[in-house]
Amino acid sequence: MAGAPQSGTSAVSRAVEPIISLQDIRKSYQQGEFTTHVLQGVTLDIMPGEYVCIMGPSGCGKSTLLNILGGLDQPTSGVYMLGGQDIAQLNDDELSQARCTKLGFIFQSYNLIQQLSVLENIEVPLYYKGMKDSEMRPIAERLAAKVGLSHRMHHKPTELSGGQQQRVAIARALANEPLVILADEATGNLDSKSGNEILDAFDHLNREGKTLVFVTHDERMVERCSRIIRLKDGFVDSDTRTKRALMAA
Amino acid sequence: MPFLSHHPILRLILSPQHLGRSMAMGLKSIWLHRLRSFLTALGVVFGVASVVAMLAIGEGASHEAQEQIRKLGSQNIILQSVKPSDSSGATNETRSMILEYGITTRDIQQIKQTVPGISIVVPSRQIADVAWAGQKKEDSQIIGALPIYPQMRNRTLLQGRFFTDLEIEDRAAVCVLNEALASKLFPLNTPTGKAVRVQRHYYKVIGVIEDESSFSPGDTGKSSASNDSSAQLYIPFSTLMDQYGETFFRYRSGSFEAEKVEFHEAVIRVGDIKEVETRAEAVRHILERNHKKNDWRMVVPVELLRQAERTKQIFSIVLGSIAAISLIVGGIGIMNIMLASVTERTREIGIRRALGARQVDIVLQFLIETVLLSGVGGILGVVLGLGIPVAVSHFAGVTTVIKPWAPILAFSVSVITGIAFGIYPARRAASMNPVEALRHE
Repeated sequence: MAGAPQSGTSAVSRAVEPIISLQDIRKSYQQGEFTTHVLQGVTLDIMPGEYVCIMGPSGCGKSTLLNILGGLDQPTSGVYMLGGQDIAQLNDDELSQARCTKLGFIFQSYNLIQQLSVLENIEVPLYYKGMKDSEMRPIAERLAAKVGLSHRMHHKPTELSGGQQQRVAIARALANEPLVILADEATGNLDSKSGNEILDAFDHLNREGKTLVFVTHDERMVERCSRIIRLKDGFVDSDTRTKRALMAA
Repeated sequence: MPFLSHHPILRLILSPQHLGRSMAMGLKSIWLHRLRSFLTALGVVFGVASVVAMLAIGEGASHEAQEQIRKLGSQNIILQSVKPSDSSGATNETRSMILEYGITTRDIQQIKQTVPGISIVVPSRQIADVAWAGQKKEDSQIIGALPIYPQMRNRTLLQGRFFTDLEIEDRAAVCVLNEALASKLFPLNTPTGKAVRVQRHYYKVIGVIEDESSFSPGDTGKSSASNDSSAQLYIPFSTLMDQYGETFFRYRSGSFEAEKVEFHEAVIRVGDIKEVETRAEAVRHILERNHKKNDWRMVVPVELLRQAERTKQIFSIVLGSIAAISLIVGGIGIMNIMLASVTERTREIGIRRALGARQVDIVLQFLIETVLLSGVGGILGVVLGLGIPVAVSHFAGVTTVIKPWAPILAFSVSVITGIAFGIYPARRAASMNPVEALRHE
């Protein structure tokens, strides 16, 4: 039953391996006598350079799917291949290493570490990769400059606006040059102006070739992304390529 | 082995840079909650300080006692004549006007002949009299001794010399003062060369000997050390016999009393220190057979030393228990605060896990923090603990001895406590579900 790639991927060259490949992913929670089936067989491939938006009403399983994609949660059944690696086969240390080097996270509430400065926050993934201090600093400075925070490098997160904090988070997500960036309602806590700035930043990253996977309610994204996956009751309801993707193709 | 070099523990050990960064991070988070950290560390501070201080004071006390016992000579068995109390079996003797008691020549002869392994037996006599120097006088013990006396009793001469064998033979009128007597009779000038008078006889002062650290046990079981600084005047044994004879007369409140004591003290030196106690047993048997009255006592410094050591051992055990309890209390304080810290920082843990921290990274992060907390507490405790004995010595005049291992031990134990009580909170932090940790408000 699994297997046939969704229609959206057909335009991309067959020779390219998918970055993310989900085969019949299911997730259920046991709560007392009741079992809640959150994901009921999700199968999809995400190709390099795609700008994917996962949408759907509350409780449709978006967040659970993102947690599984991020290697933070394990599916009850199904196969998840990340960059050709079967996630289920990894032990906790290897999984941590995979999160560190292959994935970049962006959260709704930024999730910066409050005691650390902007630069130190950007350096956290580099540190866990095992990099030396002398190697980390220039990378962090370059990334801070890239997101337009050269003048705020030694500030603490609390001294920054929401938009600035989210830009630190973007820089941090880019630090280890991950295969894919996962974002969860990245603009949810921002006013529309800074939200748009952040979305512009994502557009820019995608043009540079970054693969982005978004979970959002934000309908503005429809205009910007290349593919929209709509979930409903734990199933993929629809999976469509946007005008932009077609134009690009 | 690229995987090995990425292992966080090895990374910390191999790279001082990462260790420095982890410690800086730990210090930062300790500094963030200054008051809380300080109060937490206080438990360890007091624990460590009390251990260091009590060790120093205890060590000082036992050091003083042992020093005094050692002064008596650890190879020696000391026999002393004791005047029997009136009630103790004194029926015929009291009638004979002359009270005869103490160690006799017969005892000494028997000991010399029957107990093997004894190298020298040195008897001495002492008589209470008044020593005069010009117009100054002092109640003193006049002690008849042999030239070997200072060596046997481990006492050093501060000035001049002790008698020679020739002076014993000649029954010379020379004397050696102890410090106490010298300072009383000659407070301003050196006594050597001057004369001291006892009754009608003049003695030329040839030396000054240090005061005796006397050990005055009720019996050999109970012991109490005290610095006896009573005045003592040493004259050749033969000279004393000449002057006083074997019987000593004393007038007391109108009545006349005569005592006959052959030796007031005899020091027996045993060749092998390991045999001292068995030889002492043999000597005790001889004396118990010869004496019906309880007119002698035996002091065995080695036994006293052993008792002092046993006392010190018990003291150490008690001290160790107190130290252990106080450090456990300190450790519980640390654990408590770290558990609170872990809960407080649940979200940070989630973020770090999402960004690639392994469980062991999280464990180390929290463990470094607890070790820093207990280590800083340990250092403060050592400083405080080193200060207390100094203050005690200064204000209370008690000898304290700080063994170099004591602060090192106390500090290490505090760090080990930090690790022991930090493991559980750290493991709890590391084992959190990242998804739930991220959701934590």
